[in-house]
Amino acid sequence: MKVLSYVILVLLLVPLQTTLLPHLSVWGIKPDVGLVAAALVGLLAGELEGLLVGLAIGWILGLFSAGELWLSLLMNGGVGLLAGFLGRHVSQVTAISLGLGLLLVSLASGLFAAMTFKSLDTSQLWWMVESVVFPQACFDGVVGAALYWLLSLRFDLSRLRTE
Amino acid sequence: MWMAHSSSPYGARRIALACFALLLVALFLFPAQIQGLLLYLGGPVGYVVRVPLEAIASIDAGIADRWEQYVALQGVREENQQLRKEIEWLRGQHSQLRESAAATERLTALLHFKEQALPTMIAAQVIGRDATNRYRAIILNKGESDGIKPDMGVVTPAGVVGRVVKTTGVSSVVLLVTDPNNAIAGLIQRTRDEGIVEGTQQGLARLKYIPLLSTLRDGDRVVTSGLVGDFPRGLVIGTITRIDKEEGALFQSAELMPEVDISRVEEVLVIQTSYGQSLKAGTGSNLLEKPAP
Repeated sequence: MKVLSYVILVLLLVPLQTTLLPHLSVWGIKPDVGLVAAALVGLLAGELEGLLVGLAIGWILGLFSAGELWLSLLMNGGVGLLAGFLGRHVSQVTAISLGLGLLLVSLASGLFAAMTFKSLDTSQLWWMVESVVFPQACFDGVVGAALYWLLSLRFDLSRLRTE
Repeated sequence: MWMAHSSSPYGARRIALACFALLLVALFLFPAQIQGLLLYLGGPVGYVVRVPLEAIASIDAGIADRWEQYVALQGVREENQQLRKEIEWLRGQHSQLRESAAATERLTALLHFKEQALPTMIAAQVIGRDATNRYRAIILNKGESDGIKPDMGVVTPAGVVGRVVKTTGVSSVVLLVTDPNNAIAGLIQRTRDEGIVEGTQQGLARLKYIPLLSTLRDGDRVVTSGLVGDFPRGLVIGTITRIDKEEGALFQSAELMPEVDISRVEEVLVIQTSYGQSLKAGTGSNLLEKPAP
């Protein structure tokens, strides 16, 4: 049942990210719901599930992006794993702390991705950081916090995390 | 936030760490092979993902279509669409005819030119945009099973859209001409000077490596040169809007306004075989074919 729900999640993320979210983009920037989903799964279900679901999300979304597949794979898998570790060690996660965490993780992964661009000089890199990486990190943080808050209204997330 | 004393499953944690470390090592040692394997495995996955993707894309297109029909007057809108299609087609033809006229003038002197075959094209629909914000790319509803392969050129009757960079069984990703990672061999139609067209971060394009002695000017059209890649010669890329000539530089460059409105592209043609290559009868559509009403 859990595996099936993960498969459905991964399959639905593709149309959500590629078809629906472009309509909701602000100044051409849309949130990375793959990253948010990997972080939430890691946080709620632990390192291994976070890693595996993150890798699956990274792989499938990577197939629908012009970017390098390995980068998407490592970033989403790494975020799932990291969120799993944090979920085990932090007893009280709030929507705000999760949002801030996601902002930092998204910022780090966006910076790493920008550094892998071969043709960027310093001014272009800076332009990319201020107009793509940073707004997206803020967007990811807000979406992650909102999703966590919505989930916490419906489920007892602290119990879910310790199970 | 407080530190928790949770009864963490160390086994799962170790497995997760080992898996991630293994993946990192594998990607570090065999990057091309692992990436190739993941892309190969992604081929069949495309068939599974296609179901929700096409369903949501068609619902999305249906809602957008209905909404526009309610907001705009239906008859006027349809007429407008038809006229736009006709303008696009005429633009494409106009540019091709200009290119043909220039070529004919040169070739007439030689009297030894071969009869050229028209390129074979596959029509495809745009079903999504790049999954990340870092690339300007579109997703098409046709892939390997339809004969699409990486590096094939993608156009509309108005001009160049981009080139295919990734394919699954039933979908493909097209890197747009406005993406800074894209490079297409271009030619200024009037002066015949060649250069490389790259995207800019502002969503335009730039023709680089133009010879300093070139007499280019604003409003000149840039077309594909046909020398590199899978684009035939003479497809419109854009119009020069600004010329940059730095002192001491070996080349000059020019900013282009792409001919195709990239944000509104809904249907495209993928160039399967270029001019002069073997044609598969009846498998593709033709650039010079007038759009259906």
